Amino acid sequence: MISFRIFEELNFSESESLVSGPTTVICNFWSHLNLDCISSHWQQWILDRQDLIRERQHDLNIVTEEEHQKILIFFCNFMQILGEQLKLRQQVIATAIVYFKRFYARNSMKCVDPLLLAPTAIFLASKVEEFGVISNSRLVNTCHQVVKNKFNYAYTQEFPYRTNHILECEFYLLENMDCCLIVYQPYRPLIYFVQDLGYEEQLLPTAWRMVNDSLRTDCCLMYPPYQIALACLQMACVVMQKDVKSWFAELGVDLEKLQEICRYMLNLYEFMKTYDEKKEIQALLAKMPKPKTQPSRPPSSQQTQDPNNPNQDQNVGQNQQQIGMNA
Amino acid sequence: MQKYEKLEKIGEGTYGTVFKAKNRETMEIVALKRVRLDDEDEGVPSSALREICLLKELKHRNIVRLYDVLHSDKKLTLVFEHCDQDLKKYFDSLNGDIDLEVVKSFMFQLLRGLAFCHGHNVLHRDLKPQNLLINKTGELKLADFGLARAFGIPVKCYSAEVVTLWYRPPDVLFGAKLYNTSIDMWSAGCIFAELANAGRPLFPGSDVDDQLKRIFKLLGTPTEDTWPNHSQLPDYKPFPMYHATTSLAQVVPKLNAKGRDLLQRLLICNPGLRLSSDEAMAHSYFNDLNPSVRNL
Repeated sequence: MISFRIFEELNFSESESLVSGPTTVICNFWSHLNLDCISSHWQQWILDRQDLIRERQHDLNIVTEEEHQKILIFFCNFMQILGEQLKLRQQVIATAIVYFKRFYARNSMKCVDPLLLAPTAIFLASKVEEFGVISNSRLVNTCHQVVKNKFNYAYTQEFPYRTNHILECEFYLLENMDCCLIVYQPYRPLIYFVQDLGYEEQLLPTAWRMVNDSLRTDCCLMYPPYQIALACLQMACVVMQKDVKSWFAELGVDLEKLQEICRYMLNLYEFMKTYDEKKEIQALLAKMPKPKTQPSRPPSSQQTQDPNNPNQDQNVGQNQQQIGMNA
Repeated sequence: MQKYEKLEKIGEGTYGTVFKAKNRETMEIVALKRVRLDDEDEGVPSSALREICLLKELKHRNIVRLYDVLHSDKKLTLVFEHCDQDLKKYFDSLNGDIDLEVVKSFMFQLLRGLAFCHGHNVLHRDLKPQNLLINKTGELKLADFGLARAFGIPVKCYSAEVVTLWYRPPDVLFGAKLYNTSIDMWSAGCIFAELANAGRPLFPGSDVDDQLKRIFKLLGTPTEDTWPNHSQLPDYKPFPMYHATTSLAQVVPKLNAKGRDLLQRLLICNPGLRLSSDEAMAHSYFNDLNPSVRNL
């Protein structure tokens, strides 16, 4: 019989990255152990590196590949913090990040402002992952706070979108992902593998953080989750100095693929050493391709108003249908 | 939306109206489910999202196909394969008489659809005759996944308020919040008996108490021996000690001994002892199943 509820007590925060500091929470998490071959994730959403570059060509004419990656990392960070403020599980945040990446794997940033797509992906992922509906007004308010308090180094103006923009963007996101909403994550396979391998206490926290960090690479678009889990486990073994070559050799998986994933991860860590988001991001966001219609800022008289005030919505520009989006 | 010509209203689903329609290009008949978006705060309703994302993953001959999701004018329309009628309406047309070959065929297909769902980590959670669609060719398909849940995907706790009362297992009636594929197996057992009786429901309870009383009168009140720890369930209350009816022969007189044995193994109060869908499909009752059904 399958165990239906797996409660795991982690002695580290499930949202931790190797870039951020630890806090302690107890959490439960679930995800599928592996992709099965009929899943939409496997059939439609394991992309080829060359395809990915080709699809992004429009944006890559305007920003370099490295700048593009920096922009994606910025919005991953935004979604991570937004999700944590909303007290979402890491699984929900990870799914939202994959939705976000899937969208921009097929669309230019010109189609929808990532600042609108990011909360929309969180909104949709929370429902799909059965974490419950985040009240749309709470979501918008939290975006306001997060932009104002955590990302004022990137945005000098307040979060410009309203609930109607998110509702409309939700349709757009659904459609562009071809309604493939079930996303498999590396967390569950990671636990399965680490339990088999041993040294769980030493390896799991490090490998888990690496899985979180892998969301800042393109790996989740190119490799099945179990391979990402194994690659992170392999790196954790190197960090913790465990000799597990024979265990990996006996797995019968394509070690070449794991090497590729490790290379993406090491590139990320290398690159994060010298990258200072706070200094660079404003210029990058200015350079980033944008929808033609930008949301009108609320008139200055309203900026001091309570963000809960629903009447504010009515004062947004007339062309709100298309705000932030170029269909 | 121009692609489809609306023909007639078929019914009301969990979250919207269902229409029969024709694809203007291919002339194919489809079912359109219009999703109501009443709650501005919720966006696309969770029930519709569940149906969309699960049916996107579940492609099987005994599960209704989702062809397309259309989005226009702030409305969402799901395009499904069209079936002639649901099992409830089929029962109504029977006048109390059903071919036992049909019972066997429908039951097998129900189990096969369920086995596929369960094999892909999905619980249906709301099986009832209204949610089983049938075709003139004798095919049966599971539909209405609005309450279904991918059980690999997690919840803080499952809502206790699911599954139409009549098809609800005793563990859920006692408030169990952690349940699994066995919930669907109980419902399948109830539907099996209803099939064999040409549409007479097995446990048509009027409320939770009446529902449990009807179940225990037939199957015997569970004890700590037959079902350990059931008295710890959140909504547990003691019931008189009914003794099991010795044979199901009076309950499903038309069903043969093997069929009664299968039914008995599905209708077990202790969820851990209920047959799984794979086990049920392998039951000897299906030994003489018409080979054409296996290929259907």
